[in-house]
Amino acid sequence: MLTKKECVAMLLAGGQGTRLGALTQSVAKPAVPFGGKYRIIDFTLSNTINSGIDTIGVLTQYQPFELNQYIGNGQPWDLDRLNGGAFVLPPYQKAKSGEWYKGTANAIFQNIDFVDRYKAEYVLILSGDHIYRMDYSKMLSYHKSKNADCTIAVLDVSLESASRFGIMNTLNDNSIYEFEEKPKHPKSTKASMGIYIFTWEKLRKYLISDEADKSSHNDFGKNIIPAMLNAKEKLFAYEFEGYWKDVGTISSLWEANMDMLDNDSGLNMNDKDWKIYARNTAEPPHFIGEGAKISNSIITEGCNINGCINNSIIFTGVDVDDGAIVSDSIIMPNAKISAGAVIKHSIVGWNSKAGVDAKIGEEQKAAINGEWKIAVIGPDVVVGDKAVVAAGAMVE
Amino acid sequence: MNNKMLSILFASGNESKLNELTIHRTTASLPFGGRYRLIDFTLSNLVNSGVTRIGIITRSNYSSLMDHIRMGRDWDLNRKNSGIAVFPPFVLNTSRDVYKGKIEAIYTITDFINKSPEDYVIVANCNIAANIDFNAVLENHIESGADITMLCHSGLLTSSRRVVISKNDKNRVTDIFFVESTSQNERLLSLNAYVMKKDKLVVYVENAYARGHVDFEKDILFAEAALGAVNVYEVPGYASIIDDVKMYYTESMKLLNYDTREQLFGADKKIYTKVKDSIPTKYGKSSFVKNSLIADGCTIDGTVENSILFRNVRIKEGAVVRDSIIMEDGEIMEDSTLSYAITDKSVTIKENRQISGFSTYPIVIVKNKVV
Repeated sequence: MLTKKECVAMLLAGGQGTRLGALTQSVAKPAVPFGGKYRIIDFTLSNTINSGIDTIGVLTQYQPFELNQYIGNGQPWDLDRLNGGAFVLPPYQKAKSGEWYKGTANAIFQNIDFVDRYKAEYVLILSGDHIYRMDYSKMLSYHKSKNADCTIAVLDVSLESASRFGIMNTLNDNSIYEFEEKPKHPKSTKASMGIYIFTWEKLRKYLISDEADKSSHNDFGKNIIPAMLNAKEKLFAYEFEGYWKDVGTISSLWEANMDMLDNDSGLNMNDKDWKIYARNTAEPPHFIGEGAKISNSIITEGCNINGCINNSIIFTGVDVDDGAIVSDSIIMPNAKISAGAVIKHSIVGWNSKAGVDAKIGEEQKAAINGEWKIAVIGPDVVVGDKAVVAAGAMVE
Repeated sequence: MNNKMLSILFASGNESKLNELTIHRTTASLPFGGRYRLIDFTLSNLVNSGVTRIGIITRSNYSSLMDHIRMGRDWDLNRKNSGIAVFPPFVLNTSRDVYKGKIEAIYTITDFINKSPEDYVIVANCNIAANIDFNAVLENHIESGADITMLCHSGLLTSSRRVVISKNDKNRVTDIFFVESTSQNERLLSLNAYVMKKDKLVVYVENAYARGHVDFEKDILFAEAALGAVNVYEVPGYASIIDDVKMYYTESMKLLNYDTREQLFGADKKIYTKVKDSIPTKYGKSSFVKNSLIADGCTIDGTVENSILFRNVRIKEGAVVRDSIIMEDGEIMEDSTLSYAITDKSVTIKENRQISGFSTYPIVIVKNKVV
């Protein structure tokens, strides 16, 4: 008999992340490197353990190998618990049926037994593709104090951008009366962060009835939440203040990385009481050579830097040779930037190489319609000597 | 070759010559190379060579070592069978004193050695900076037919006390002697690490203990060398013993050389250490850094040249650090200048301070001090 857990977290990490193109050809979006030494999923995993929740199911489906290996036994996040811990939950063959996760709600439906086993009273639903630092225990207290059936974390966004989000329309007491997905004329600026706490007994019921409905998309936003609202269940919005970013596109992934360089961005990684953990690669300290010139950048262990680095994020084990220039760019683990190469407003994937005097990307003054023209070199790509990659191009 | 060897490590030794750097710690836990403790090199070498039964004999000030090693997980040594066993100072009823030398210390853990299923034992101090393949050492030892194989490296003599070895064309030790003078010729120097049959070690130690001997080198090694029973294994690539402040400084500075780093950290034989989850290092707009080795978690807004920064060091705007070693959590405030200095953990240098040692006599600032 397993020890009872008040709250179990379920992390939806199965998304393909098609908008990240070359970067998610071989790995799931949550496994994409971020911020010098992290993966995107590290933020959610670290938030979970830092919030005192030590039982977490990670639902994987698309390209799960890298992610499964990365999470392993959960030890880097202190999630190798005797009772609880991190569990990778891929879809599996059951006695009567066996199928892929059809939607977010179906993924949880297929793992009802997992939650039941811990006799959880509450279930925290998370997604593995957001960059933020959040104390879920405060949200859980809120959920309990409201005696809610479902609490949805919301972020106050600008009215102009509200039509890009799922918007919660609420009454004065923050109870939700309506949910609108990407409304043309938003009535509120409370955008769903894709973070839900459900009272398990309730959610369990809705998951089962949703599964019985063959026309359902089996999705939390499209089906479960509207169904609960229709049935006049108690849904509340929990207002989160702080840094939060969906890194679903190349432009937003680039922006979120750049926020690491900005002390005022709110992405305060320096908080010793809320560390973000990552699997360690055991590299020696990085070395800055005679020819190097570095300004406003982040550099991680295992690098050998001899070129010029400006406004950039340099991940673990990167070499930047003499005379190379890297500005406003993200160079992912173990990439090599050869002598004389010029990288501007680009993302260079892991294990890739920019040849001698190669030119990748072009300087961008500003985002156009909120989108930066970032050149992307996928993982394991060799860009030849003197090759030119245009701004906003994607090389696989 | 896996699990053919166990290892016995001595965490203490030479603390007196490391002065201020070992007031609060054992030599084994001396920070080295930007993010490591000295013992990390030996532990990683052992693990990379498949040696997972490791007994660490401590003598004094070993709390920093215990804190560093914990259950050995960061070296993959949290094993069900084997793993790390730390032996705190053990007082024999017969002597009423903490052990006097290696012989007594090993004698007190005879049970541990006898109960281990491995056939061979590696006896070493924890002050070696090198990347050693112990499987190659064992192969060489078995092939040589010798009773003891001692690990050596070629190096220059500095004024530090060194054990010099002469050998014949069969790689047998013909002479061992201490030298404390400088010389420009490369000599064969002992790394104070030995490989031998486990049963042999037990017999050596029991015989020596029965005769009141305490010193492993003088009382066992010298005698065996005289009999032609000691084989020499020369460690290829970079290797050094760190046992006084000057050695500490010069060997640290050698890490600014690419080849040294390749030999010490290179290839797939990684050096592991305690994971601290520091954030990556942030370089500000006014930073100016050249020829330096820098660990994670630093914030650099000043000038750093020919230096080593450990984790979580802050160099403020206008501060200048040259030819220096700044250990973990150090803070150099605005417009201060440091040269040829070693600042221990959590040292703060306030604004407008000028601190300068000399290349052959680096100045050491003790742990937690504020200047």
